[in-house]
Parts: sequence; C-alpha cells; structure tokens
Amino acid sequence: MRRRFGSVRAVDGVDLSLLPGEIHALVGENGAGKSTLAAIAYGAVRADEGTVDATGFVGLVHQHFKLIERLRVWENVLLNREPRRGWTIDVAAARARVRALGERYGLDIDPDAVVETLPVGIKQRVELLRELDREPAVLLLDEPTAALAPSEIASFFATVQGLAARGTAVLVVTHKLTEVIAYSQRVTVMRAGKVVARHLTSETGIDQIAREMVGGDVPALAARATTVATPLLDVRGLSATSGTSELLDATFAVGAGEIVGIAGIEGNGQSALADALAGLVPFAGSADFAGRPLRADDTPAARLALGIRVIPQDRRSEALVLDWNVRDNVVLGRQRSLAPAQYGAAAREVIERFDVRPPNADAIVDQLSGGNQQKLVVGRMLAGAPRLVVAYQPTRGIDIGAAALVQSRLIEARNAGAGVLLISFELDEIFACADRVLVIAGGRFVGAFERADIDRGRIGTLMAGHR
Amino acid sequence: MSAVLRTRTARDLIVVIVVVFGVGSIAMLLAHVSPLIGFGALFDGAFGTKSEVAETLVQATNLLFPALGIAVAFRAGLFNIGAEGQLLLGGFAAGWVGAQFPLPGYLAIPMVLTAGTLAGGAWGAIPGFLRARFGANEVIATLMLNVVAMLLATFLVTGPLQQGGGGASETATLPKAAQLPDLIADSRLTWAFIIALVLAFVLRWVLQRTVFGYELRAAGDAPLAAKRAGIDLGRTAFVAMALSGAIAGLGGATLVSGVLHRFNIGLSPGYGFIAIAVALVGNLDPLWIIVASIAFGMLQSGGIAMQAEAGVPREVVSLVTGLVIIALAGRRVMASRRTT
Repeated sequence: MRRRFGSVRAVDGVDLSLLPGEIHALVGENGAGKSTLAAIAYGAVRADEGTVDATGFVGLVHQHFKLIERLRVWENVLLNREPRRGWTIDVAAARARVRALGERYGLDIDPDAVVETLPVGIKQRVELLRELDREPAVLLLDEPTAALAPSEIASFFATVQGLAARGTAVLVVTHKLTEVIAYSQRVTVMRAGKVVARHLTSETGIDQIAREMVGGDVPALAARATTVATPLLDVRGLSATSGTSELLDATFAVGAGEIVGIAGIEGNGQSALADALAGLVPFAGSADFAGRPLRADDTPAARLALGIRVIPQDRRSEALVLDWNVRDNVVLGRQRSLAPAQYGAAAREVIERFDVRPPNADAIVDQLSGGNQQKLVVGRMLAGAPRLVVAYQPTRGIDIGAAALVQSRLIEARNAGAGVLLISFELDEIFACADRVLVIAGGRFVGAFERADIDRGRIGTLMAGHR
Repeated sequence: MSAVLRTRTARDLIVVIVVVFGVGSIAMLLAHVSPLIGFGALFDGAFGTKSEVAETLVQATNLLFPALGIAVAFRAGLFNIGAEGQLLLGGFAAGWVGAQFPLPGYLAIPMVLTAGTLAGGAWGAIPGFLRARFGANEVIATLMLNVVAMLLATFLVTGPLQQGGGGASETATLPKAAQLPDLIADSRLTWAFIIALVLAFVLRWVLQRTVFGYELRAAGDAPLAAKRAGIDLGRTAFVAMALSGAIAGLGGATLVSGVLHRFNIGLSPGYGFIAIAVALVGNLDPLWIIVASIAFGMLQSGGIAMQAEAGVPREVVSLVTGLVIIALAGRRVMASRRTT
C-alpha cells in the first residue's frame, strides 16, 4: 500500500493482513502513517498503489466521533439504513433494532437519547453500534480509548474481545503501549510510513516496541533538581465556567519549584480551570498569587503581566497564527515588551533551545509538523522566566522525541523556580513529571497524592468518578 | 477571517481576468456588439488621451481611499460594507466645513480633509463600538448605516445645515483656497491621488512594521490566539473600524475638495461598494490595492466611452464588478471549507 500527501510518503509500501478473530495492534508515533493506513482500509482515503481485500464490510470507529450530535441514538446508528414503511421511517422497528443490537453485544444503550446529552464513553458506544449494525468482517478502531476512564477501557476491551471471539478481525490503532500488551495478539509497528517490526504480542514488550516506534532509544527526561516548593498560587473555593466545562469549588496550591499534575479524563472541568487562570473567564472564590489576590475579572493581558503563562490545549487555534512565520509567532504575547528589531533574536533563541525544525524564523508555521509547532508554543511560553506555567495537554498529538523535550523543559522551568500546573489526560505524562498529583472528576478535586505515594489503580478509580 | 480572504494573488488575478473578459464578452455579444470593439472602446476611453488617463486616475483615487479603509477592517477580521456611508458623511463634513469657514489656503485644505476624516471615522466607530461592546455583527451594522448615512446627509444638507447657493441637495461651493490643487492642468486629477498613494505606503508600513499593525493582524488572523496573547479584541475592533471609516471619510473629503468642489448627495456612484472588490482583488495588501484601484478605475472611466462609442450599456461594468466580488469571495469560501 502506498499513499503520498504532497511530498510526504504517508504510507510507503505497507503490507498488513488481519486474521478473523484476532485483535491486532497497529502502533507508531504521530505521523507514522497508521491512521492513513486505517483510512485506506476503510475506503475514506484512496491509495496511490495497492489493494484492499476483505471478506465483508469494513467498519471504522473514529478517534473523533463522527456523530450527529443533535440526533437521537437510533437515528445515528441507523443513518441511511433506516427501516422504512413506504415513505416514512418505521421508528418502532428502528428502536427495537438498536436495542437488540446493544443486548447482543452487551452494550447497554437508550435508543431515544439525544447524542449531545451523552457522556463520551456512551457516545463511543453509539459509534461502535453504528458499525456493528453492518456486521463488519473487519473492525478498525482509531485511538479508541483516548477519551475513556481506566475502568471504561477495561469494559471496552471486554466488548472488543467478545467481537473477536465471534470471528471479527479487529485492528486497534493506538499509541498506548500498555493496552497493546494487555489486549492484542499481534503488533505491527510503523515509522515514517513503513512497517519496521511485526511481533506476536506474547514475544515482545513495551520497551522494545517503544524503541522501534522512535527508531532508537527513547530520550530520557531532564533530571529533577531537589527543590523546596515555596508558596506561589493558593486557590480556595474556586468555581468557573468556560463553555460546557465547569469547575466547582476547587481548593489547591501550586508552589514555586514544583510541578502539580491534574489527572482527569477529558471534559471534567480542566478547560474551565485553565481558562480561569488565563484570565479568559471570570471565577468565583479566591486565588492568591505571589501573596496578592488575583482579580476575578482580570484580562489575559493582566495575567501575562503577572508572569502567568497558559499553554493552551489546541495549539492550532488557541496559540498560533498559522499563516504567519515562526518569528512573528514566537513574540505573540510579548509584542509590546519587545521592540520589532528584537523579534529575530527572540525567535532564534526559541528555535535553538527547543530544536524547532526547520530552524528558520521565516518558515510559515502551518507548514511545521505538530511537534515543532508545539515546541514553538512551549518555547514562547517559557521565554522570559515565567512564574507560573499552566500546561494543558502540552504533548497532545506529538511524537515521543518532541514530547520528551517539552516535558524536560517544563521540569527545567520547575528546577529554575517556576510553578507548573500540568493538566493532562495521559497518566503516564503526569507520573513522569509531577511532584504532586491532584485528581479531577466531575469538575471537582477528588484526590491528592504526593509523588512518593502515587497509586495508579486508586487514581484511575477516582478519575472515573468513583470514590 | 482575513486569512481566509487572502490567498494567492496570482491565481486570483486569473479569476479576475477570466471574469472580466469572459463575462464581459458574453454581455457584449448579448448587446450585439463585438467584444473586440467593446473592449477596444473601453481601453481607448480609459487610456487613449492624456485627459482620459487623468480621468482613469481620478476614478482610481476615488476607489483607492475606501478600498484601503476596507482592507484595514478586513485585516482585523472585520467586514466593513459601510465605506459608502462613511465616504458620504466624510464628503458632507468636508463640504459643509469648507464652505462655512473660509480660511487661507494653507489652513483650508487641512481643515476640510480633517473634517472628512473625523466624520468618516465617527461613522465607522459606531459599528466598531457596537461590535466591541455588544458583539454586534459589523456586516449588518455597516450595511444598515449606509442607509442612515444617506438619510442623515440628505436631512442635514437640506435642513439645519443648509447653505444655499447650490441645488437643493448640495452645499455651497468651496472657496478656491479649500480646493485641492490640480496635478495635471485642465483635468480633474488633483493632489488627492498623491495623498492616496502615500497613504497606501504608510498603511502598509503600519500593518507590517508596528505593534499596532501586528496586533490588528493577529486579531484578524487568529482571534483566539490573539486574545490569549493579551490583545483586547474589542478595542482592536473599535480602532480598526474607526480607522477604516476615517480613511473612507478622507476619500469623501478629497472627492469634494478636489473633484466636485462642493458636496452633493449623489457624489458617489457606489465607490464604497466597488471598493470591496478592489480591496479583495488587491489581496488586502495596500500596495496591490493601488494596482487594483487603477484597473477598476479603468473600468469606471472607460465604461462611459464604451457606451458612447460601441453602444455597450455601461451596466456591463457593474455586472462585471459584481461578478468579480462573487467569484473571489466564493473561491475563498471554498478554499476555507477545504482546509477545515
């Protein structure tokens, strides 16, 4: 199979076969070509060369669900295959069909629920049922557990194993190696569009797969200096709302010289927390910063002036001007404190320290890879000795090397005396970086752990909203 | 939004040329005129003699001011459809002040131009304020304010601020000292053309080299990122709209001071609307807008000759201009859909 996008060989001569009844993991870094390969197998992307043979229908569950939010569950599941009675839809038959489908696969669901009212885990069920209604011979799952709690992940894979037991061939596209080891029978590793290794899962391990994904040793993180955290941010009873995200009555502290990790599943109030600290939304409650109360209705400019920098979740829309070059993006937020003549030097500093490639201040940011875009964003936020850094999903969707660099720079900022609030949906990232871990669920802080007492199982339970 | 509207100039140029010559030819054929003769008359009418060249540049000047104003708003992510009204009120303020207060030459012209700039700026600031304060859609506000501007100017010029002397919907004639001097003798081309050219270069510098321009472009190209970077989007919108209106108002003032020598309610045949196409064809870049304004100025001045000599209705020019706007806007909407 081959597929080019412009000059990039996204998929470059890949052969892959799936057997009935197996769970096959396809792993690789972002941009390795695994999602493209899945899209080709599904038929959403045309291959330049190569063929796809399947014994039946090929189903795909997308990482970002392709559901019509305002329609009901049955309308989504049976879209374009509605049971008809003449000119009308046979609603009773449709409901019954969806309910029967759910019972058959052990996926409990209310056919009449409107999709936008459902939590993420249930939405995924809807997406899965839509594919299962067509009785696929092959089921492709693209990063299926990205938005699930640890407990939901287990039950999700129980369903998948049930499907495989009925003879469906399942391909799981993922970057979570623990799940690969736990649930797959075979693994295919891709790098830069090519297959670099194939294993029986029982004959390999996480370390080996990780090395194969990166094409070398996984870079080590910066060393953690011994620091004594001194009070910096002290938050009491903070509540805030940003869009649909809601934070309720949060009390926590971040010291200078420590990284506080916020562990939680997406959509549990993290956005409200980050936006309230950025000055984008007002908050209720009190927050002291460096000994002085933060004004609840500060503008983003006022928070920047205090030395609070927020690395937003979506670099493309919230942090970068994609049509601009690297130089003008590096100074965004500092355009008033730097003279235009200094922009070039500021850009070179970030490019060098954060290894932005290509190392060209005139390169248009939209043409940089996601990892390099993110390095630019983090580099901008860490420039000029910030006092508090709020990093919201700072390594989302970037390759392991870039992620390690970003995490190392955050640790170095901590070593140098900055306070870091690390909000992440990836537990591994939090455990690797944080001095303390707070667990957020349903908009509330539900648990606190020191680095020495981190209990992965307990944190997972708390994240899912169980006390 | 402005990023969406700014695409590769070269390709847009092809679109424009295809629309102008393709559709123009079809329209001429429908009028039973050979396109060769029709376009021949158009070019000849625009560039045939020295005075025709001068008239083309007069039209270019009248389009260049509002187009520069529209471009400033666009670069800030705002769609200013109200240049026509801003230009009209700028023209009225210039005409009334100029006729009301006879001053010596070195003061009269600056006074007239300043009055027009302030009036246009105030008229642009209204939708800017509504947008900044209440999030009101500036497209609708500016569009509506065109009608209000027309009614307001009519009311003032025939009512409380009537000066007499001229016709019913005119101010009195400006004294010689308040009239912009000719650039070419015995033509309508005045120093307004030079002012417009200088303004284009200054705007280009402001947009590309100053912190103000940087923040304005950031607000237009990536509003969420700009907001997080501490840029006050409301304030930027207000200032950009006021500046946009001020530039269009200055255009109205030069039209009054240089071309008509009095304000007349019918002073603009739609310059503020045609200027939208000029700004888009010029890729919202002040220097390219100079080129685009000359091209559209040619259509305006040559259109009259085309009607007189080849018998092609002048409306063909309006038709072509409208289609250019639709074609360019459509192309850009399509492009933005593909990328998102």
